[in-house]
Amino acid sequence: MAVISQKDYLESISIGGLTDAAFGSPGFVKLSQAGGGAPEAFSRVVKTACRACIANCGVLATVENGRVVKLEGNPEDPMSRGRMCAKGLSGMQALYHPNRNKYPLKRVGERGGGRWRRVSWGEALGEIAEKLMDTRDKYGAEAVFCSTGGGGNPEIWSIARFCNIFGTPNWFEPGCAQCYLPRVLSYTMMYGGVDPSIADSNALELYFPEDTPIRALVLWGTAPSYSCPASGGRAVNELRARGLKTVVVDPRLTPDAAKSDLWLPIRPGTDVALLLAWTKYIIDHGLYDRDFVLRWTNLPFLVNAETKLLWRHPGVGAPDTFMVWDANAGGAKPMAYPYDEALAPELDGEHLIDGVLYKTGFRLLRESVEAYTLEEAGGICGLEPERIEKAIRIYTDNTPGAIALGVATDQTPNSVQAAMAACAIDLLRGNVEKPGVLMQRFRTSKVLKVPNYPVPVARRMLPPEQLAKRLGGTEFKGLHIWHAGHPSSILDAILTGEPYQPRVWIDRSGNKLAVVAESRRWAEAIGKLDFIVHMHMCPTSFSAYADILLPTEEWLETNMIVETCNTLVARQAAAHLWDTKDETLIWSLLAKECAKRGHEGCAKAFDAEFMGEDLPYWDSMEEFFDHITPAVGMRFREMKEKAPFEYLPKEEWRSYYVYLEEDPGTGLPRGFDTPSRKLEVYLESMITLGRTGLPFSPVPLPPAPREYQPLAYYLEPEESPAKDDAVSREFPLTLTSGRVPFYHHSTLRNIPALREMYPVPEVLLNPVDANRYGIGDGDWIWVESKRGRVRGLCCVTRGIKPGTIFMERFWNPETLNTGTHGWQEMNVNVLTKSTAPFNDVVGTYSLRAFQVKAYKAEEGPPEGVLTKPQDFKSWLPAPAGPTDGKEN
Amino acid sequence: MSQWIILVDVDRCIGCKGGCQVACKTENGIALGPSRCTNYTIGPYGDYPDLNMYFLPVMCQQCDQPACVKVCPTGARYKDAASKDAADGVVKIDGGLCVGCQSCIRACPYQANYFNPERKAADKCDLCQARRDRGEQPACVRNCAGECLFFGDIDDPESEVSRRIREAGEGNVHALKEASGCKPNGRFILRNAPWLDMLPHEFSRAALEGGDGHE
Repeated sequence: MAVISQKDYLESISIGGLTDAAFGSPGFVKLSQAGGGAPEAFSRVVKTACRACIANCGVLATVENGRVVKLEGNPEDPMSRGRMCAKGLSGMQALYHPNRNKYPLKRVGERGGGRWRRVSWGEALGEIAEKLMDTRDKYGAEAVFCSTGGGGNPEIWSIARFCNIFGTPNWFEPGCAQCYLPRVLSYTMMYGGVDPSIADSNALELYFPEDTPIRALVLWGTAPSYSCPASGGRAVNELRARGLKTVVVDPRLTPDAAKSDLWLPIRPGTDVALLLAWTKYIIDHGLYDRDFVLRWTNLPFLVNAETKLLWRHPGVGAPDTFMVWDANAGGAKPMAYPYDEALAPELDGEHLIDGVLYKTGFRLLRESVEAYTLEEAGGICGLEPERIEKAIRIYTDNTPGAIALGVATDQTPNSVQAAMAACAIDLLRGNVEKPGVLMQRFRTSKVLKVPNYPVPVARRMLPPEQLAKRLGGTEFKGLHIWHAGHPSSILDAILTGEPYQPRVWIDRSGNKLAVVAESRRWAEAIGKLDFIVHMHMCPTSFSAYADILLPTEEWLETNMIVETCNTLVARQAAAHLWDTKDETLIWSLLAKECAKRGHEGCAKAFDAEFMGEDLPYWDSMEEFFDHITPAVGMRFREMKEKAPFEYLPKEEWRSYYVYLEEDPGTGLPRGFDTPSRKLEVYLESMITLGRTGLPFSPVPLPPAPREYQPLAYYLEPEESPAKDDAVSREFPLTLTSGRVPFYHHSTLRNIPALREMYPVPEVLLNPVDANRYGIGDGDWIWVESKRGRVRGLCCVTRGIKPGTIFMERFWNPETLNTGTHGWQEMNVNVLTKSTAPFNDVVGTYSLRAFQVKAYKAEEGPPEGVLTKPQDFKSWLPAPAGPTDGKEN
Repeated sequence: MSQWIILVDVDRCIGCKGGCQVACKTENGIALGPSRCTNYTIGPYGDYPDLNMYFLPVMCQQCDQPACVKVCPTGARYKDAASKDAADGVVKIDGGLCVGCQSCIRACPYQANYFNPERKAADKCDLCQARRDRGEQPACVRNCAGECLFFGDIDDPESEVSRRIREAGEGNVHALKEASGCKPNGRFILRNAPWLDMLPHEFSRAALEGGDGHE
């Protein structure tokens, strides 16, 4: 086998059968038109589902003579209704990209030298397994860690499953505590149902514009027009056209903000202060649903003011019985579940009983928001108090309504508290499980045990002594809900060797160095690792540092089950190229190699009887799907043929008031999926989580260094313009980030159709600030934080809050083979902060709401970056030369 | 009489550039750089924080008095009464006659023409002639994520576009840059913000001169 340089490797790969894309035409000419003598095209349409982002929109892929030649939305998809966005519509350019990873490659020469040798899958996986087993023998399985995140086509639980089975507690993703987990955790603990994230394909009530009564929607740090244009963006759009009132909380004037009834351009990182002010206003003005709060939340329950724990009535049975202050009797009484009509529970009060001070949950909530008047919040958040009031009134005057909380608040150390506060507001308003609100427990097909991802994590396979070694797992116990480690704790362990030295890293991602905070620290850490594996559809900056590269399948090559409202959609392969494999299969194959080398857990993972509901590992994706599709009475092959199909009639699927359904075991209403069956606005279980890890850790863990708080509190960002200190004087602008509709996380920067529309990251700056710093529209500028500086193209616009700077995430595939490896030029994560303060519950670091300065880059754009449409021509699908195997 | 057009419900355009730019380019095999349809951002304008901003997908407006036809030296560009009566009202290009002088590109007030380097000829939106021949809607209309594009015959009072224009109310329906004298047939519905009747370069100029409503 010949040794080839990375450049050769990138250039040597192209595909057969395509016509010449002369002059950079992104279109495909039919084979039958391509020249004399070509056979008549054989055409079929594959009903599949996109995975250019996580929205999974239904797609009709036209395949002619084995080549995908056209993509259109599938009208049978109830969420996208036949529409697609720029990311999905450019899927052919991703599939047929000339720089795909095509074969497993093994590094030759120095790490980072960019020289590779093509190897077989057997050789690649064998070598990885050898290294894993050797590391496990010498240092323990915990010295191996895995990661996902950054976009692409993963089945996220595949990674957690492999780690559990291999015996390492350490996998992480740069999202997780920074993206979505804070909301999942809070809504799960307080409500026990699905959180209202539009970008995560929840908020399903929005997809029935014809008959939902929803009248107000608060888009808090979310921009569905940008994150999921064809599904959530389209649905909100349709509802707006039908009269829905919207409020948008966002420092950036997104399309949704521009179309809203009221835009609240908040200072980044201050959301909790504003949420607490909403809560106070709603309480003070009696705008909460008093009857619902009394009957269905835990706010009337008495709390020991010193221990902060609820007062339980001794007795047996589940749920526990809690004490209330009965106004009739003038004393504390046990409140039988679900409600004792003979009692008159006091909602807001406190009483000294036998020397112990008890307060109702409601009183504690009221006290926790007392300081947050409209004026106070206005001062913190940079908003007019009257404007805040107007926004609250839009939400409370137009009922039913709901708050859709987005990712913005997940990206600062105040993350979990933001989700708790937002959830509390909707719960106070009684916006739960009635028509027209977002917190719902609609029925599911039961094919997927958890939403969106079918692979069982096999949690019990991780021995308790290994779980205890999870990096960050004691401090940030909320991470156990996703069985995940804490990125900064893993980073610190690599850099310091404390508490132990991680040595082997298996990553699947769009580009780890573009999505982790403070990429420079991670680049430094990479130098300390023994062995690095990267799997993805195309090379990324991270590939440059890898020892083995594995080629994975694009979404047009893969199969997956997608549940979309009451419809099951199948992602099904429309093509297959090169020697690529489905990521979900790769982890299985790796486990098999470890089993061959004597790993007991991996061997057991192939034993169907032993694995039970955790499922035995699979030799093909079809074998895996055949384990789970029987939930709808068929094998996967049949499902693929039928899909999309409705697994339940819409009326039956859209189940409202689930909490009132009778529990057949007790004859009582089933309530909510929380320990008390009530809505736990006073979140006592947060205290338990901090002390023990329960219920998310399967075994008790030592207490966290800080007690977790049962009610939300505001945390001013560490770097803040409000502090008037040395940092804020040198770095006067607050940075925020967010989606644009052309990319998903770190993916798609190599797609000509997208790069030509958005070639470099835009940096939005208000004219007030632009004038102050001598920056003009269209100038290249430096954006600099305490941690580094990068360049971007300045867009001067009043659509960004003064004092705030918006920068889109970016990396540059075109400079992959240079010294920067493409992650150092324009990558906002060079600026972000990976160190404390962290969120107390889940360890969130600072991806937004930190301080930077901006100044003109007299040098212009970074060297080698592509900015003009024609520059991207070499990334278009190109005609193939023959691949005889010798060259590669 | 038939006059097929694309109606843009601007209130519904979310600026995602998927259907109107990416699907169009793929469908029509357009080179990197030019575009048959461009989705412009107009604004923000108004008094901060009560700002307006809208997105404007602009393609050939299928004018009754097309500037491109007027300036075309070879007759390659045409729209005559006969064709409008007979067919679809689309401004057409006879590729065989086009000499690539690019007069049309300079003349069009909508910047809706571009030079096709493969054919060495001017090109523009033809409302997806090939798709229409198969009974399908133009690619932009079919794929638009915001569901803001509608295709139909504005001369037919029963068509969807005519119905939507009626329902929007006269004051909310706009033609782009009518002052050009081209008599454009494309229509834009904008109810929720003041219509500026500008493309971005004009907006930038107006903003510099304080004419964008910014105090």
